[in-house]
Amino acid sequence: MTDAKTPAIACQNLWQVFGQGADKALTDALSRSGNDADKAASDLREQGFIPAVQDANFEVKEGELFVIMGLSGSGKSTLIRCISQLLPGTGGEIRVDGENVMGASKKVLTDLRRKKLGMVFQHFGLFPHMTVAENVAYPLRVQGVGKKERLARAQEVISLVGLEGREDSFPRQLSGGQRQRVGIARSLAVNPDIWFLDEPFSALDPLIRRQLQDEFLRIQATLKKSIVFITHDIQEALKLADRIAIMRDGKIVQIGTPTDIVLRPVDDYVREFSKDVAKGQHAKVASVMRDDSERGPDDPGLTTSMTLDAALAHCMELYEPVPVRDEAGNIVGTVHPSDLAAALQVDET
Amino acid sequence: MTAMTDVPAQARLTVGAKAALITAVVGALCLALEGIAPWLVKWPTAWELPATQWVGAFLDWFLNGIKPAMRLFSDLMTYPMDAANFVLGNTPWPILIGLVTALGWYLGGLPMAALGFFGLTFVLASGYWAESMNTLALVAVSVPVALVAGGGIGILANEIPRVKSFVQAVLDVMQTVPTFAYLTPLLLLFGFGPVVGLIASAIYAAPPMARNVMLGLERVEPEIKEAAIMSGGTRFQQLFQVEIPAAATQIMVGVNQCLMAALSMVIIAAVIGGFNDIGWEVLLTMRKAQFGESLMAGLVIVVFAVVIDRMSGTLATERKRYDQRVVWAVLGFTVLFTAAFWLWLPNPSELTLLDPMAEAIDSGLTAFTQANGPWLDALKNNSLFYVLLPLRIGLDQAVLPFTWGFQWTPGMSYGLFIVAAVIAALMAWRGHLTGGLVVLILIGMLETGIANLPWPFVLTGAAALSYVAGGWRLAVLSVGLLCTILVSGLWERALLSLYLSGAAVFSCAVVGGLIGLASAVWTPVWKVVRPVCDMLQTIPLFVFLIPVLMVFQIGEFSAFLAICAYAIVPMIRYTRHGLVNTPEEMMEAAISSGATEWQIMRDVRAPYAAPTILLGLNQTILYAFAMLVIAALIGTTGLGQSIYLALGQADVGLGISAGAAMAILALIADRMVQGFAEERRKALGL
Repeated sequence: MTDAKTPAIACQNLWQVFGQGADKALTDALSRSGNDADKAASDLREQGFIPAVQDANFEVKEGELFVIMGLSGSGKSTLIRCISQLLPGTGGEIRVDGENVMGASKKVLTDLRRKKLGMVFQHFGLFPHMTVAENVAYPLRVQGVGKKERLARAQEVISLVGLEGREDSFPRQLSGGQRQRVGIARSLAVNPDIWFLDEPFSALDPLIRRQLQDEFLRIQATLKKSIVFITHDIQEALKLADRIAIMRDGKIVQIGTPTDIVLRPVDDYVREFSKDVAKGQHAKVASVMRDDSERGPDDPGLTTSMTLDAALAHCMELYEPVPVRDEAGNIVGTVHPSDLAAALQVDET
Repeated sequence: MTAMTDVPAQARLTVGAKAALITAVVGALCLALEGIAPWLVKWPTAWELPATQWVGAFLDWFLNGIKPAMRLFSDLMTYPMDAANFVLGNTPWPILIGLVTALGWYLGGLPMAALGFFGLTFVLASGYWAESMNTLALVAVSVPVALVAGGGIGILANEIPRVKSFVQAVLDVMQTVPTFAYLTPLLLLFGFGPVVGLIASAIYAAPPMARNVMLGLERVEPEIKEAAIMSGGTRFQQLFQVEIPAAATQIMVGVNQCLMAALSMVIIAAVIGGFNDIGWEVLLTMRKAQFGESLMAGLVIVVFAVVIDRMSGTLATERKRYDQRVVWAVLGFTVLFTAAFWLWLPNPSELTLLDPMAEAIDSGLTAFTQANGPWLDALKNNSLFYVLLPLRIGLDQAVLPFTWGFQWTPGMSYGLFIVAAVIAALMAWRGHLTGGLVVLILIGMLETGIANLPWPFVLTGAAALSYVAGGWRLAVLSVGLLCTILVSGLWERALLSLYLSGAAVFSCAVVGGLIGLASAVWTPVWKVVRPVCDMLQTIPLFVFLIPVLMVFQIGEFSAFLAICAYAIVPMIRYTRHGLVNTPEEMMEAAISSGATEWQIMRDVRAPYAAPTILLGLNQTILYAFAMLVIAALIGTTGLGQSIYLALGQADVGLGISAGAAMAILALIADRMVQGFAEERRKALGL
């Protein structure tokens, strides 16, 4: 329904500033600093404003899983609330399917939420007075969908998240993991194109968290939503993301694929994040692949999407360049085994 | 708290020390100059403005303006009232008992059903059935009005931020305005009769509902609100389908408080609108000194209060509902019972099953007071002559040969001041400058008596305390408000009220604090104290007067006791709560440091509980002020008496002015204690 080239979400110079009269203060600060975001932000801070999101620019492509990562207080929750217009946004543009939603009327926003947006919350945000089925069916209820129809649809999504049999339970009777399954089901009830997840697994035990991450990936593999996913956990970000944006003090400091973030951090802040990450588990062979066709006789069967760890295991005894194939089996490049080892070392010097 | 801060005397003066110093100096100056300038001590009558008359004139004009509309409203209200009266008055009593029992079962199972059944059976046996139904009819009409009004205001305040701060301010003020003060203007608007009680109780009961609705909506988790928005609900859908149901527990607390407030007020309103309801019965028997009957009627009120409170309380706390089949069975049985015995059902008004009990109480009471007369009199007189009176008019006037055995002389005053100065100097030398100054000030106040305190001293003291507690703004507010009392000619009465409530609050703080401490340390004590506290908080204010009257007759001492009995509860509760809720880790840290029980209490638990205990003190102060006015019925002087007198004479100016003065005192005390509590909380990083 949308042009393939139109991104699902596009943010341009997005600002969220807190404080009385923030709109005007932002305009003034930007004109004083000649549109230099950093200067404007420190100017605003001096005046007692809180620039929680500063000049955010990014796009989320259709079907892409875009993760925003940062420590608490870095503005990531504010950013997702800006995009979903739970917060009004102070300056800039947010395009959803090419349509600017900044300052859109209540009616337009309500309509948008009813048809295109779904959101999952860190502490689930379940309605305590409704059963699981009623919670899940609520987004349909507000649109006036009949009871029978909406409960039938609720049943579908409840099955999708594996909660059959708990339809009539109340949220207080469920475990944390089950509650978040309800939250996920509810956000999918209207089959939205765009899916916001605000630290959905942060409040859960590590074991349950991993289980839900896997199921989330399974659901996403079939549904192919355009996703904005917030987390403070680098492992989670690397595991799930197509691309990651790293935030610090309201600013996006780097946007890149997991491999980019791990192997080519732009500054010490990002490096600090990826320090404890076993790089070999996240960086892909593609990141160290070269175009030259000089290869040795061996072919250990590397593919572009193989992790460095796996690739290294295949090349333990080899010293000559080896070919790399894509998923279809065509040779697309070359890897020097020494590059594999070097890539894993890159940060330890 | 500042008074306890350790400051070496050499060090720079703390804010508290400065404040105490200034207050002490002003007090000393006033006392020293009393001979030359008597106006320094007593505000001259010539300087008073006829503010009461102005208020009266304005209100008369205003009330007359809105009178037609109000009369129309009251005429309209008579329809639902008559209907409620008719229904409750004509429903056969077995059916009502059955209904309440069934409702009790549905809400709380067997215990609640038993409470409903035995409660109402007691009412039936007491012979006050008809009167009770009249009271209940008033409650039944006023509560829905209060619920709708309060709920509407709460929702409106939640939706419009600007309205919110206004509503909050009005609710704060309404909380401090004494109940009787409402009644005078209502009397003028609606004349005598049950409608006044109805409207007064609706006005009185709406604020708790509004407060709880606001609080409940505010406390709904932000993510739940966001989830409702993201589900695409309109504001209306968000509010009514998500936020209000999610706030249901808090709103039910509001319903509970609303019911209790309405009941309490309906009974108080009997003082003016007496029309054969249970409050009127209590008042009448009390005036006739028929204490046995008075107590019976009081117990009927208590029974209603307990039944209504516990049943509506389960609405908020319990989610479980019991089997409906039992409900239908109980109802079916009562209908059958009524039909079968229709002709033999006794007229409840003629039931006198409990009359022997009332008589027994009366004669028992007479025997008791006769047997223990000397002892009781001694208790009463000693408290009056050696504690209350010196506090009120000062040692210099209270010490008389007749009571103390000697006459106070100016020399003794000087001696006392010298002793006080020496103590203060010693304490200052040991590093407790502020503490020393406070001791000096307190001894000075004891010598002078609260009712005779020089007005510049009171203003300075209030300003100093306010400044320490809440900064300049509070100091200015306190002084400004106190000045309005000063110039309006209500100053002396205000000081009298201050003295009585001060004495009561002080006693409550000491005794209640100790009981709270004991309850926190020994669980068995709490097991006994807790139901007593629950009971005391459920009983309508009015009923407190009966037992003290029975034993101590009319007078200030009885009033003092009644105030204490009502106001001590929050002190006990909050003290215990604060002490018990010390975080486990902190206790463990203290234990592993090798602290003894006492050291833990003194160094860890008490400081941690301080903000909570201060909040308890704050509640105690507000309770004391609320009771002060009711206690005027059995003989107190001061503002409470003025309000009560104004009610009798339908003097709106005096009633409202005295009520406002009372509210001012309560408001200032409230803000000060809150300020100290806030400071403590900040110091503890809470």
